[in-house]
Amino acid sequence: MAEKYQLKSKEVWDGNMAASHALRQAQVDVVAAYPITPSTPIVQNYAQFLADGYIDGEFVMVESEHSAMSACVGAAAAGGRVATATSSQGYALMVEVLYQASGMRLPIVMTVVNRALASPLNIHGDHGDLYLGRDAGWIHLIANNPQEAYDITLCAFKIAEDQRVRLPVTTNQDGFLVSHTAQVVEPLQDEDAYKFIGEYKSLNPMLDTKNPQTYGAQTEEEWHFEFKATQHKALMESTSVIDEVFAAYEKLTGRRYSRVETYKLEDAEIALVLMGSAYETAMVAVDKAREEGIKVGLLMPRTFRPFPYNEVAEKLKNIKAIAALDRSAPMGAMGALFNEVSGALLANGQSAIMTNYIYGLGGRDTTAEHILEVIKETDKNKEAKKRVTDLQGFINLRGPKLSFN
Amino acid sequence: MKNIGNLKEFACTPDRFQGGHRLCPGCAHGMIVREVVNATEDDLVISTATGCLEVCTAIYPYTSWDVSWLHIGFENAAAGISGAEAMYKALSRKNRSYNEDKKVKFVAFGGDGGTYDIGFQSLSGATERGHDFLYVCLDNEGYMNTGGQRSSSTPIGAHTTTSPRGRVSYGEKNRKKDLTMIMAAHGCPYVATAVPGSKHWKDLAQKAAKALSTVGPTFINALSPCTTEWKFKPQDTVEIADLAVETCMFPLYEIEDGHKLTITYKPKQKLPVEEYLSRQGRFSHLFKPENSWVIEEIQKEVDRYWEYLQRKEEAGV
Amino acid sequence: MATPKEMMSTWDKIQFGAILPSFENPEKKLKSKFNSFNYKVADWRVEKPVFNRELCIDCDFCWVSCPDSCFLVEEVENKRGKKQAKIVGINYDLCKGCGVCVDVCPTPIKSLLMFPEFTEIDEALNQWPTKDNK
Ligand SMILES: Cc1ncc(C[n+]2csc(CCOP(=O)(O)OP(=O)(O)O)c2C)c(N)n1
Ligand code: SF4
Ligand code: SF4
Ligand code: SF4
Ligand SMILES: [Mg+2]
Repeated sequence: MAEKYQLKSKEVWDGNMAASHALRQAQVDVVAAYPITPSTPIVQNYAQFLADGYIDGEFVMVESEHSAMSACVGAAAAGGRVATATSSQGYALMVEVLYQASGMRLPIVMTVVNRALASPLNIHGDHGDLYLGRDAGWIHLIANNPQEAYDITLCAFKIAEDQRVRLPVTTNQDGFLVSHTAQVVEPLQDEDAYKFIGEYKSLNPMLDTKNPQTYGAQTEEEWHFEFKATQHKALMESTSVIDEVFAAYEKLTGRRYSRVETYKLEDAEIALVLMGSAYETAMVAVDKAREEGIKVGLLMPRTFRPFPYNEVAEKLKNIKAIAALDRSAPMGAMGALFNEVSGALLANGQSAIMTNYIYGLGGRDTTAEHILEVIKETDKNKEAKKRVTDLQGFINLRGPKLSFN
Repeated sequence: MKNIGNLKEFACTPDRFQGGHRLCPGCAHGMIVREVVNATEDDLVISTATGCLEVCTAIYPYTSWDVSWLHIGFENAAAGISGAEAMYKALSRKNRSYNEDKKVKFVAFGGDGGTYDIGFQSLSGATERGHDFLYVCLDNEGYMNTGGQRSSSTPIGAHTTTSPRGRVSYGEKNRKKDLTMIMAAHGCPYVATAVPGSKHWKDLAQKAAKALSTVGPTFINALSPCTTEWKFKPQDTVEIADLAVETCMFPLYEIEDGHKLTITYKPKQKLPVEEYLSRQGRFSHLFKPENSWVIEEIQKEVDRYWEYLQRKEEAGV
Repeated sequence: MATPKEMMSTWDKIQFGAILPSFENPEKKLKSKFNSFNYKVADWRVEKPVFNRELCIDCDFCWVSCPDSCFLVEEVENKRGKKQAKIVGINYDLCKGCGVCVDVCPTPIKSLLMFPEFTEIDEALNQWPTKDNK
């Protein structure tokens, strides 16, 4: 039996430590992982927990992220709780296997510390990796600070393993800004955390060798479409389970999470949509703007996938102008949030003046002042009742103004 | 360890690899796999790399496997099985085993492409980490599932679709990678070569039984003559395998603890390599006068290697 | 490769995660409908092997060499009471007609021979070569 870890009611943890403790408390059966900045400390912390007797599952230090995710798939299909951690290039190396994990409906939890994708090489935070995994069939949850990284990771196991879902889940936190920033975190005691997640419930385990199962069959044109459609259905319908899990977590901890988070949106006329640590920076900007009389609010999809399109549209129904802020190089299009939000509005017969801002690539600072600037530009669109600012702008980019229309 | 007696006894083993798969008629993959899974009485969890075996034995809605089986991708059969094996260990430690009364053995199958090439890293990693599993390479010396392209296992002189013979080409230019020795160099407790068929069935079955009962990572490199891409008649599969052994193109041996080599079959009289090469369309161009030097080179290399194996066996180091 | 009609199902009825159970009743080892044992590859054949029980010495070379697990085996006891396999036939649903079994069969007059697919078994046995005509 693993040792109980003595935790204070308030700990000072960075996002990595918070995620590490969540994995430990989940009593994961197999963790297979490979180090990469900025998620390396999760792997190291876990190794230390093991070395100190706090883990009785297996910890497989593989030779690459591709093998990390492959070992996770093998372990999950074998029939137990499985988790890993990664970032950026490691995430990119895993991509092939991410699709395989979700296609086989394996409830793997991956704590992602978001980081830019090379080239040029960059170890700092942006959402390039998250966006890369967007269509991989995983549930993607967003955490904006160490407390959320902890809470959301515990929830992730419960969501993934629910028999109605059985899909892999990533929890995302911004590289360095969350992963390496120590804050006060209120953890659950080990037994309470474990009780919340519950025992692993098996489904078609390979290790039940008396009842052998074949995983990873080939489905050509006769079947592939049907499988992808059912997988999509599971992802779309995971929303109700996510709501349930968040509600149960609130009951236990008093901390409330929603698939769509908002800030001062009720009476707002304009809104910013963004995810990650910048959401908290934007709160400061919103407060300042409101002091200046601008009625602005914020919206964040906590579940990047499944994308809460109807809830987003509902929350934004009175908004006149919206700026979607994407922290990933859009490469030949508008950012993903811009597209998702625009689509969600149109699908519900709504419209708002939409603009897109790209920010924070490779860890570039985005301050409350920068965001205040965006708010003011968005307000201009509202005042003019048409778009008078650029369609796509870049925040805190050095050099002459760059924009697209 | 399952005692591999005579064939009459072995043939009483109920098959755990079923027919109705879509491997070509006469495909050696099926012969090898049947023998390996029949060489133990323990339960099995198997992973298989993308390749002919995988695409032909789990075509939805059918499976040919009466044992637990997993296919993930082309390059990760070893990584996948290492995860399953880790889960087995974890659940045993936590007293949550699914079947307490049954021992479970872990096996990965990969083609030469999935083993020598794209999956080599994951195989090396899983081996170095010491997982308790048997890896069987089904070595047909090329990427057959995708139409017979070269791999690093393709022997010199062989025609493949990416090392074709041509007006100025005699086929593959590089010599076959010596993967078996590379696996021995990992310090595996057990490494062996094998061929399918009725002549050397016991050699293969015993090696599989031994590998499966050895704790730690073990490796069997099984030559798998491919009727379709080597271009010989389907009924000749076993004969071709036997000729590979009799010419010493593919010698049968085993290595224990990374160094102790035993040749498990010595041809009474080593046949010239032509006997093997001439039976396969993939080498037919070598019999043109301008390419005769390639056959000479192959013979020299085979002689050298056979000498090397014998000396290594004698030296016992 | 077309799936037999009775196996075609709709998206709401397909196997979760494309995961296939080998057995319908694992305890009794009753094969599931997903087991390829129930798939027929007979139409791959041009020629079929015919088995002549009269000549067979039960060496089981054919059993071990068949890539398609076709040989039907009965477990019998030999004179010394040891179990041994007796070949009793060929599963023609699974046989692709590769001819390997014929090739490895060691009896002086082969106990397995290839015949055109539509030859009746009795007819084939009648045509079997004899000592002077093999
Ligand atoms: C990552 C990746 N690259 C390429 C392929 C295409 N591919 C599938 S099987 C195969 C060749 C398999 O060759 P081998 O491993 O030797 O097995 P064989 O089919 O010869 O038994 C290739 C190239 C793939 N499936 N995945
Ligand atoms: S191509 Fe070769 S290896 Fe592949 S199924 Fe056919 S005979 Fe077997
Ligand atoms: S012809 Fe081939 S498939 Fe048919 S029984 Fe003989 S060996 Fe098996
Ligand atoms: S190989 Fe021939 S003699 Fe041997 S068991 Fe088969 S049919 Fe009988
Ligand atoms: Mg091959």
